[in-house]
Amino acid sequence: MTKPEPVALFTTQDWSTRAFVSWRGLILGLLGVFSLMLAYRMYQQVFGWTAGLDATAPAFDTYWMNLLKAELVILTTSWAALWSYLWFTRDRNMAQLAPREEIRRYVNLIFFIFVYAFAVYFTGSFFAEQDASWHQTVVRDTAFTPSHIVLFYGTMPLFVLFGVGSLLYAMTRLPKFAERLSLPFMLAVGGPFLILPNLGYNEWGHAFWLMEEYFSAPLHWGFVVLGWSVLALGGLLVQILQHLMDAIRRAEIQAEAQSLSVV
Amino acid sequence: MKRSQSHQRAVRWLFSLMCLMVAGPALAHGERNQEPFLRMRTAHFYDVKWSTDHIAVNEEVTVSGRFRLFEDWPANLPKPERVFIGNGTPGPVLARVESYINGSPAIQSGPLQLDRDYEFKTVLKGRIPGRHHVHPMVNVEGAGPLLGPGSWVEVSGDHADFKLPLTTLDGTQIPNLETWGVDMVVRWQGFWILLALVFAGWWLRRPLLMTRLRALEAGREDLLVTRGDRLWAAVFLTGTVLTVFGAATWAENRYPRTVPLQAGQFRVDPLPRNAHEITVKVERATYDVPGRSMKMTLTLHNPLSRPVQLGEFLTANLRFVNHAVPAAMALVDPRYPADIVPRAGLTVHDAAPLAPGETRSIKIEATDAAWESERLTSLLTDPDNRVGGLLFLFDDAGERHIANVSGAIVPVFTGG
Amino acid sequence: MTLPIKPPPEGEFIEIYGQRWSRWAATLSARLDIVISLIIILAITAAFHLHFQLLAGDWDFWVDWKDRQYWVTLTPIVAITFPAALQYVLWEKFRLPIGATLSITCLLAGAWIARVFGFHLWSYFPFSLIWPVLMIPGALVLDCALVLTGNFFFTAVIGGMGFAVLFYPGNWPMLAAYHLPVEVMGTLVSVADYIGYAFTRTATPEYLRFIERGTLRTFGGHSAWVASAFSGFVCVLTYLVWWHIGMLMTRVTTLPNRWRAMFGMPDHQTAAVAPAEKTHEA
Repeated sequence: MTKPEPVALFTTQDWSTRAFVSWRGLILGLLGVFSLMLAYRMYQQVFGWTAGLDATAPAFDTYWMNLLKAELVILTTSWAALWSYLWFTRDRNMAQLAPREEIRRYVNLIFFIFVYAFAVYFTGSFFAEQDASWHQTVVRDTAFTPSHIVLFYGTMPLFVLFGVGSLLYAMTRLPKFAERLSLPFMLAVGGPFLILPNLGYNEWGHAFWLMEEYFSAPLHWGFVVLGWSVLALGGLLVQILQHLMDAIRRAEIQAEAQSLSVV
Repeated sequence: MKRSQSHQRAVRWLFSLMCLMVAGPALAHGERNQEPFLRMRTAHFYDVKWSTDHIAVNEEVTVSGRFRLFEDWPANLPKPERVFIGNGTPGPVLARVESYINGSPAIQSGPLQLDRDYEFKTVLKGRIPGRHHVHPMVNVEGAGPLLGPGSWVEVSGDHADFKLPLTTLDGTQIPNLETWGVDMVVRWQGFWILLALVFAGWWLRRPLLMTRLRALEAGREDLLVTRGDRLWAAVFLTGTVLTVFGAATWAENRYPRTVPLQAGQFRVDPLPRNAHEITVKVERATYDVPGRSMKMTLTLHNPLSRPVQLGEFLTANLRFVNHAVPAAMALVDPRYPADIVPRAGLTVHDAAPLAPGETRSIKIEATDAAWESERLTSLLTDPDNRVGGLLFLFDDAGERHIANVSGAIVPVFTGG
Repeated sequence: MTLPIKPPPEGEFIEIYGQRWSRWAATLSARLDIVISLIIILAITAAFHLHFQLLAGDWDFWVDWKDRQYWVTLTPIVAITFPAALQYVLWEKFRLPIGATLSITCLLAGAWIARVFGFHLWSYFPFSLIWPVLMIPGALVLDCALVLTGNFFFTAVIGGMGFAVLFYPGNWPMLAAYHLPVEVMGTLVSVADYIGYAFTRTATPEYLRFIERGTLRTFGGHSAWVASAFSGFVCVLTYLVWWHIGMLMTRVTTLPNRWRAMFGMPDHQTAAVAPAEKTHEA
C-alpha cells in the first residue's frame, strides 16, 4: 500500500493573522481613551490653579461644576448607547457560529478588554495617586475638587463603559459566554464597577469620621478591597485561552475535513 | 541641574498649551466651606502681619501674629493636645524656612492650651512664581486645619533659580534640598529596573501563554522549566542578595553619621495673661439672614482700674472695627486684606466707656455682605448654633484687652 | 468527528514545547502574547497601585515618613500581596516565574509616572520629597525562590522573609543621604524631616506622620532590623493567604445562564466543543 500524499490544509482560505485580527478598533479605542486622558490632565494643569482652589468662587462653577455636569451626562448617555447597541446587534444564532468567526470574536473580546484595562490604569494608578498630591494643596472643601471631578466622575464611568461593554460583547457574541455565566468575568467587571457606589462611603468618611488627609485611612479601604477583583482577570485569561484553543482546534478540524472533501 | 530644570519647564509648557486666563482669581483655598462653628470657635488669629506682598524667588516673607485657642472649643472636636503650626499656602509654592511659636522652634508638634494666646512667626521663601494666597495656619490633631486670614503675596522670577541650601552637622554641603539625593535614587532604581527587565526577558522572549498553558496541561513541565532556567534564577538570587548588602554597606560607610526621623514634641508656655480681664456674657445674639447682620446684647463687666471702650469684634477672621475708637483704628494696617475688614465696621449702641468696676448691658451690631461671601450664613445648616469671637477693648491709656464672646445665636428672617 | 490519519504536510506545523501547533495558530498566539502581556501590565499596575497607595501610600509618597518602624514593617506586608497572587496565576497555569518581578516593576512604574505628572508637575513637590520605594530586589528573590523550589510553601518562607529583609538595605543606599543630621532653629532634625518641613503640605501636619516616636527599647538603635524580622514573619503568612486568593481568582467557575435564550443560545442548543485530541507530539 502506498503512503498517502500529504494534503495542504491551510491553503484554501486565508489563515494569516489578518484574517483573524483587526487592529483598527483597538487602535481607535486606545487613541480615544488616551486623548481624553491627556485632555483631562491638561485641563487640570491650567484650570486647577486658576479656578480650582476655592469651591465658593464663581470661576469654580464655570470651569469645574460645568465639567462635572457635562461628563455625567455624556458618560451615562454613552453607557446607554454602547450597551444597547451591543444588545440589539447580538448574534441570535450563536450555536451555528463558525470556528474561524469565533476566533475573530475572541480576538475582538481581548481587544475590548485591552481598552478596559487601559482606562482602568488611568483611574487606579495615574489619577488616583495624583489625587493625593492635590489634597496637599488645598483644604478639602467639597466632594467635587478638580482632582475628584476627573477621577471619580470622569475616568470611573469611562472604565465602567468598557468593562460592562466587554462583558456584554462576550455574552452576545460568543457561545460559551452566552451558555454559562463566567464568574471571573463578572467579578472583573462588577468589582471595579462597585467602586462608584463606594464613593458614598468615602465621602461619608471624610465628612463625618476622619478629618485628616492621609491616604492609608480606613475610609479608603472599600476601594482597596474592590480593586482586588481585578485579579479575576487571571481566571478570565485562562478561560479565554482555553476557549480559544478549543476554537483553533475546531477550525483545524474543519480545514482538514474541507481538504479531504476537495481531494 | 539647569538642563533638567529647563526640561521640566518645557514639559510644563507642553501641559499648558491653553493659556486662557480666568477673570477673578480665587480668593481662598478651601476655608470658606469649613463650618462656621469651626471658624468661629477654634483658633482666632489677630495682629497678623505679612512683611511684604511682593518677593522674588529666593527672597523671604515673614508672616507673624498671634492666635488664641478659644475657650468655648466645640465639644465635638478633639482638644488641642497635638498641634502643628502649619503653612496655609496652596502646597509648596513658598518654602518654609523657619517657624516659631512664642519664640520656640515649631518644627515639631506639641500640646497647646485653650483660652491662651500664642505668638507665631513663619519665614517663607519664594519658590514658584505667581500670585499666592498666604495664611497662617494651625493644625489640630483630629480637628484638621484652622486657617487664619489670607493675603496675596506675589512671587516673581523663575523657579529654576530657586535654591534651598543646607549644611549638615558633619559638614556636608547640600546645594539645594529640592534635588538632594535624587541622582542616587534615579541611578539605583534605574539599575534595578534594568535588572528586572533582563530577568523577565529570559522568559518573555519565548512563546508565553497559550503555548505554555497547553504544554503544561499535557504534562510537559520539563520543557517549560529547564536547568538553564534554574541556573538563571540561582545567579540572580545570589547576585541580588550580594548587591543589596554590598550597596547598603557602601551607604553606611559613605554616611556613617545618620539620625532617625525626629519625632519629639515641643513644649511651650502660652503668653502671660492678666489676672483679671473683662468678662462678657451674651444675653442675646441673633443673625439677621436677609439683612446680613449679627446683633448681640452683651453684658460686660470691667474689673480693671481704667475705663475701656469696645474697639473690635473678631470672628472667623472677619474684623469688625469700631470706627469711633482711634486706638482700634490704629491697629488696622492699610495693607491688611480689605475683604475681611468690613467697611461699616462695628456699631456699638452705647458708646460711653465702661467705667472701672462697672457692669453694663451693651448692644453691638456687625453688618456686612461678608457674612454671606465668607459662607458664614451656613450657620443655619450647622447642628451647632453658637457664636464665638474675640472682643478687643481699649482703655484710656491705649492698652488693649481681649475678652472671649460666646453664646447661643438665633437666626432672624424678618429683617428686623 | 474523528481525524483521518494522515501525515502532516511539511511546513504547516511546528513544535512548541513538545506540542504540535499549526503555523498560523502559532503566529496568532505570538501576537496575542504581546497584546495580553500589555493587558496584564496595565491591569496589574492599576489594581496593585491602587491597593498599595491606599494601604501604604503615605509612607511611600513622602521621604519624611520613611522611618525605621512603620514604614519598614508595613510596606513589605502590603506589597507582597499581588506578587503572591500573580505568582499563582503565572506559575500554576503557565510555569512563568515572573509574577513578583512583573507586579513590583509595574507598581514602581505606575508610582513614578504619578509622582512626575501629579506630585511634581501639578503640585510642585520636589523629587527629593516624593521618590517612591524600591522593592525589586525582594521581588527577584521571590521569583527565584519559586523557580528553584517549585513550591509555594518554601517560596513563602524563603521568598517572604527575603522580601522583607531586603527591603531596608535595598533602600538604604538612597535613604542614607536623607538621614544626615542637621541643626535648624537650634533643633536637631534629619535632612528628610527638614525637606518635609520646608516643602509644605497643607494637609499633612507633622503629627500626622505615623512613624517611630520612641519606645523603651530599640535594641541598640537597630529598630529597622527588628521591624524587618517582624515584617518577614507577617509576609510569610500574607504570602500564603494571597497565593490562595490568586487561586480563588483564577478558578474558572461558571454558572448556568438562565437567560441564555435571550442572548441567542436557546436551551436545546449547546456551544461547540472540539473532540478530545489524539496526541501529535513530535
